[in-house]
Amino acid sequence: MNHADANADQLAALKAGARDRSRASTWALLALLGALFVWSYQGSEIDLGMLFSADGGGAIAEYVERLFPPDLSAKVVADAVEGAWETLAISLIGTLLSVVIALSLAFFGSRNLVYAGLLYEMESRRHLVLLRRIPYLAAKAILNFLRTIPEMLWALVFVFLVGLGPFPGVLALGVHTGGVLGKLFAEVLEDVDLQPVESLQSTGAGKIQILFYAILPQVLPQFISYTLYRWEVNIRVAAVLGFVGAGGLGQRIHIALSLFLEQQLLTLLIALYVLVTGVDYLSAYLRRRVV
Amino acid sequence: MKPAQQYHLDGVRKVFGRGQVALEGFDLKVARGERVALIGPSGAGKTTLFRMLNCTIRPTSGHLRIGGQEVADLYGRSLREMRRRIGTIYQQHNLVPRLRVLHNVLSGRLGSWSLLGSLASLARPSQLETAHRALTDVGIGEKLFSRTDELSGGQQQRVAIARVLVQDPDVILADEPVSSVDPSLAETIIKLLIAISDDTRKTLLVNLHSTDLALSYFPRVIGMKAGVKLFDTATSRVTPELLQELYSGHAPVNGAGEPYREPEHRRTAV
Ligand SMILES: Nc1ncnc2c1ncn2[C@@H]1O[C@H](COP(=O)(O)OP(=O)(O)O)[C@@H](O)[C@H]1O
Ligand SMILES: [Mg+2]
Repeated sequence: MNHADANADQLAALKAGARDRSRASTWALLALLGALFVWSYQGSEIDLGMLFSADGGGAIAEYVERLFPPDLSAKVVADAVEGAWETLAISLIGTLLSVVIALSLAFFGSRNLVYAGLLYEMESRRHLVLLRRIPYLAAKAILNFLRTIPEMLWALVFVFLVGLGPFPGVLALGVHTGGVLGKLFAEVLEDVDLQPVESLQSTGAGKIQILFYAILPQVLPQFISYTLYRWEVNIRVAAVLGFVGAGGLGQRIHIALSLFLEQQLLTLLIALYVLVTGVDYLSAYLRRRVV
Repeated sequence: MKPAQQYHLDGVRKVFGRGQVALEGFDLKVARGERVALIGPSGAGKTTLFRMLNCTIRPTSGHLRIGGQEVADLYGRSLREMRRRIGTIYQQHNLVPRLRVLHNVLSGRLGSWSLLGSLASLARPSQLETAHRALTDVGIGEKLFSRTDELSGGQQQRVAIARVLVQDPDVILADEPVSSVDPSLAETIIKLLIAISDDTRKTLLVNLHSTDLALSYFPRVIGMKAGVKLFDTATSRVTPELLQELYSGHAPVNGAGEPYREPEHRRTAV
């Protein structure tokens, strides 16, 4: 058998092997997903019959009827506005806090900056090279920890620590979103074009100078865009956080629900709708401006 | 008195990652103010050599001395001071696309500026006249306030040269500075580099993919292949056989298949 034939045979064998492997693993994955769905359907005790039965449907219709008309008395409206303002403030300050947390960790959590030289450029001393792993792994671990615990859990913890009101809400949002944004920022940083970085390094520029002249101009638009997007998410979360005592519209909605004040509830829901829609529009507008 | 030798390399070897040998047993002496072209097929190790010459990567072993100073002994501030005296123009992506041209030019001053001064300059440019003069010297003074990503490839290479001008180093390294611009512009840019290095008595080392440009404008040519130096000689001694050997297994970039002609304007200073 000549050389070319042997090569072609080997290629064919490799291809067939790859095909078999990918086919088998695809089916296995699909089967697994299917099993997961069946299991979850049972686990979540879904009962469509109950939702659409005469009884269930009647109860819903009755409840909706009781929501109308919304209570537009001055006192209730003022309370709704105050709640909306509080929720907006929680989302804004919480997001701001999250950016501070994300920025202080993201640079250490991006492989290229820590390993490939920027933060510890051109080091050849072996023990120092190994030391780089410590801030990197620490930053990754902290970001993971902040992110895996949901806002609601953080809110419960902070309500316990600092008491009821908007402040625990701000902390909960800031800490969780800090983990989320930190991870996203680190990923953006891992994508920066390193050639301009090296070319500034070669002029004798220092690390912070390189950060401001070569890295931030590359990543800032995406940082801003991600932050605005998370703000949109956070305005909704800020509303829900009220249910565990962290102030804002959520706390008022929770009270209205518990005390069967349906008409006040509708006023609060309208306020929430206006607030969330407004924030969505503003954020979308700002994001278009930066990219 | 400064030592005459700009560069002195002795048995330099560079190994990347898992045993990828990029440079092997490399010796080189370059005098101050000398003008040298490096040629060789891609993968020869030219870029790797330049990255060591501008101190952004270290040799795996061997000695690299710049102006008599052993680079292995330099860290932190002394390393940055050495880099400040070496200006590099890369093949492409020298610049930060989203930054205005003037900031890309002035970034050549970063090695001399204080941290606070350089940050303040992003808000209120510190040496606008310097930047403008450098851009005028390379022929695009009117682009001072443009956004860098709005410039053509050739204009961006000029910005990179303007940055080297404001950096005002002792050595200019240009790593295939013309491979991403069209041929008519390539010659202009090489002439510009030579004029700058002549005016200010700077050492000039240029990597070139084009043997024509190397033979036309440089008195000394180094041929590199597979991480080793194949020849290092006066341009007048470069023979067609040498070039053949250099590019055997590769197509030479220009003059492919054509017989080698003596360039007419060898050694002309521009
Ligand atoms: N960062 C790197 N990691 C691994 N190998 C590299 C790296 N840079 C260059 N090399 C290898 O070193 C050799 C020389 O590359 P280079 O210096 O870029 O050559 P040239 O500039 O002459 O085309 C090539 O084989 C290349 O694959
Ligand atoms: Mg190269």
